[in-house]
Amino acid sequence: MRNLPVPALHILLAVSDRERHGYAIMQDVAARTDGKVRLGPGTLYGSIKRLLEDGLIEEHDGRDPDGDVRRRYYKITRQGRKVAMEETARLSALLRHARAVGLVPKTV
Amino acid sequence: MRVRDRIARALIRLYPAEFRDEYAGEMEQLVRDRSRDGGSWRWTDLVVDIARTAPREHLVVLMNDLRYAVRLMTRSPLFSAAVILTVALAIGANTAIFTVVNAVILRPLPFDHPRQLVQVNEKNDTLKLPVFSASLLNYLSWKEQTRTLDLAAFGFAAYSLSGDGEPEQFTGSPIAPALLHVLGLSPLYGRGFAAADERPGAAKVAMISGGLWKRRFGGDPSLVGRSVTLNGESYTIVGLAPPALAVLTGGDIWTPMTIDPGRENRLNHVITVVGRLRPGVSVAQAQKEMDAIAVRVGEQYPEVRDWGINLFTFYRAFVNPQLETALLMLLCAVVCVLLIACANIANLLLVRSAARQKEIAVRTALGASRSRLLRQLLVESVTLSAIGGMAGTICALWSVPLINRTLPPNLLPIPEITIDRTVLLFAAAATIVTGVLFGLAPSWRAARVDLHTALKQAGRSAASGPRGRVRNLLAAAELGLATVLLIGAALLIQTLFRLQRTELGFAPKGVLTFQLAPPTTKYALDTKAPQFYRTLIDALQAIPGVHGAAVSSGIPFGNGSYTSTPMTPIGPSALPPDTGVSIDWRIVSPGYFHTMGVPLLRGRDFTDADNSRDAPVVIISAAMAERFWGKTDPVGRSLRQVADRLPFTVIGVVADVKNTALNRQAPALYMSMARRVWPLMDVVVRTDRDAAAILPGVRSAVRQLDPQLPLASVRTMEEWLSNSAAQPRLNAQLLGIFAAVALLIAAIGIYGVLAYSVTQRTREIGLRMALGAPRARVLRLVIGEGMSVGMCGIAAGLVAAAALGRTLSSLLFGVRVHDLPTYAGVAVVLAVVALAACALPARRAALVDPIVALREE
Repeated sequence: MRNLPVPALHILLAVSDRERHGYAIMQDVAARTDGKVRLGPGTLYGSIKRLLEDGLIEEHDGRDPDGDVRRRYYKITRQGRKVAMEETARLSALLRHARAVGLVPKTV
Repeated sequence: MRVRDRIARALIRLYPAEFRDEYAGEMEQLVRDRSRDGGSWRWTDLVVDIARTAPREHLVVLMNDLRYAVRLMTRSPLFSAAVILTVALAIGANTAIFTVVNAVILRPLPFDHPRQLVQVNEKNDTLKLPVFSASLLNYLSWKEQTRTLDLAAFGFAAYSLSGDGEPEQFTGSPIAPALLHVLGLSPLYGRGFAAADERPGAAKVAMISGGLWKRRFGGDPSLVGRSVTLNGESYTIVGLAPPALAVLTGGDIWTPMTIDPGRENRLNHVITVVGRLRPGVSVAQAQKEMDAIAVRVGEQYPEVRDWGINLFTFYRAFVNPQLETALLMLLCAVVCVLLIACANIANLLLVRSAARQKEIAVRTALGASRSRLLRQLLVESVTLSAIGGMAGTICALWSVPLINRTLPPNLLPIPEITIDRTVLLFAAAATIVTGVLFGLAPSWRAARVDLHTALKQAGRSAASGPRGRVRNLLAAAELGLATVLLIGAALLIQTLFRLQRTELGFAPKGVLTFQLAPPTTKYALDTKAPQFYRTLIDALQAIPGVHGAAVSSGIPFGNGSYTSTPMTPIGPSALPPDTGVSIDWRIVSPGYFHTMGVPLLRGRDFTDADNSRDAPVVIISAAMAERFWGKTDPVGRSLRQVADRLPFTVIGVVADVKNTALNRQAPALYMSMARRVWPLMDVVVRTDRDAAAILPGVRSAVRQLDPQLPLASVRTMEEWLSNSAAQPRLNAQLLGIFAAVALLIAAIGIYGVLAYSVTQRTREIGLRMALGAPRARVLRLVIGEGMSVGMCGIAAGLVAAAALGRTLSSLLFGVRVHDLPTYAGVAVVLAVVALAACALPARRAALVDPIVALREE
């Protein structure tokens, strides 16, 4: 499988603990990255579409807890969990290599 | 709705429908949520986000459509192959022809700002000479007086290059040093000519072409500055000429033109003058100024009173209207073939879309919108045409070197055809337009399928109704276009035959020709050179198998020099007094008429004794005799050049000869070689053996006389002739091929329409037969249906051809534009072809077994 694009990995992380709708995913990602990563609507739903096609997340309809708005909720699948772990393993290996050659900033 | 939401909605529109169906609502909601929470949306962020992601989604959809199209194609490989092959043929032919049109007509000439360049010709209205070379003295006068043009000039010369190996002969030009500057060119290497090089007595310098430098001197970089021997004199090579210079002047060697006004005659028209319009001057303004100058020069020098000036744009000077017409005609013809092919494929697709109705109905029922279906179907047809177009373009590009090799030299005004971006763009555009064109009608119809009936009937649609009408219309259009092409081809083929059967006035078979240019420094034109040729003729005649040898300043259809001069009779004549007639004249040796097989009608041939300077004798053509003296015997009469008093006495009359072109015959006059020759002469040798067999003997005869003298343009007379018919032959061949292809495709088209209609109507036909219709009637029914379509197409084609005919008139010879037998013949041929195409389906209809047909459904 090809590498997971960064927005897709962020989305997988956001829907890994509980199901979220699009806006919630966006907020979650923004909160987790101190507002550094802001997924625009196109990026967000483009990624969601491909994650769905690849079977890494699943979708079901639901209602907004505080309103009547119908929303689509997304949750990670077993396959998605596996792919996310493979990807993070790959990234941490990369980080290790980077640390070994001193290419990592002190704050990390 | 708030403005912000509206903008968001508009932006989201940029995504493909498939994506919007799924996510548009969510995306709008997202934008609303975020602004409700007071999140500061920066619109730029949103726009960037959409600009980054929307194209990708479109690509995804396109790839899906493509995958589907490819899957469909492989499912019916025969159909796809037929379509691709047809497109490849049509696009290939179009691209090949366009490459030539582009190179000759569209691409700017290889000079700096070519639109500012003009050719300055002389003209003489009283002699009906609209375009004529300029005289050196007039050129000097113009140059002195003009304020609108920067002028330069070049002539024509032959150079024999000796030393460093075999002597070789080249053509080239003496050029005014300003020529490179006027054209906006600079030498490839070294320097061009300076004003000082022009003066009589200046050190002799020359430029050579890059080709000659590479071939003869092995690309030696130290050549510039060295000296070579040209025409027996030493010249210093100062530079390599830019290739574009040869596009204008031709040849491989250039020397500065030296003008000695004291020794020139103002009526000696020997040079080509070119000019660059000064900034802000139009051609019309320059023409006006030059008209005034011509009048002034005429007042000052009465001998040139009748001569005016005629400016030509460079485009017109290079591309003659006939070539332009021929090329545009071929382009139109090949576009016609493409249109026929499109119509045919559209018909095939219509048949298929009828068969696919159910599939399409199912997709519509599942929610595919009409525009999405249309797009899918268009992607299918464009994919087919793209594969065919690519194959065709590759073939065309591949064929360009072949075209360059097979096109006869001098047919096109440029050295060779090359491919550039414009050609590739044309091929790409033609391919896409083709795909849309043949895909549009079937896709449109298919996408408008009526769900209810389609699902119920499962593809059993009738051939009549709107779809049948479109198919009939397409088939008729194909036949109409084929008619136009066939008529054009028939007219051009007849032109070619007429040209080939035209009375030449001489016997070309068994004549070998070549050119010699003995250096004038060694062989004076009025003494040594005639003697040299006399000895050569005797030596050639001594070769076994040679039955005659002679010399001429210009053989018919050759590339030697010939010129025409206004002449007028002395004494009583058939012409009104003081009328000048433009006469083609050339110099020939004794025995020339015998060698060429031109009958001597009256009087006698030249002898070596006809060398008188003060009482020259001439032989004239029958046409000229008739023109000057009517039916009376011209032998013993005399005539003179309009510009000169010296009388020429007529000693003989020869038959008319087509001297310059197969479709042109001009009154001609021959002067005696013994008096004077030209620097470059054509030698003709008649033999009853193979030309190649006597060539070694001919070469050694020349070598024995002068080992430094090269033979140039060694060719048989038949080769020269075939060269001169090259363009009509090419016209006829290409249009013939296009017409044949068009006819074939159109025949397949009408066959397809009928065959399909018969298949669709099997049940109806079975019913008719069950009710007692005889087979003959069924046969008539089907043939009648096909032929009514065919006849409409043919009639439309005849009308169109008659309307378009005029444009062809300049390309025809010996046949009228609206030649009735041609039109009738083509109509009959097409009707027969259409009938044949109807016959197969009709037979199948007549063989329908009513029982089987009725049970089938």
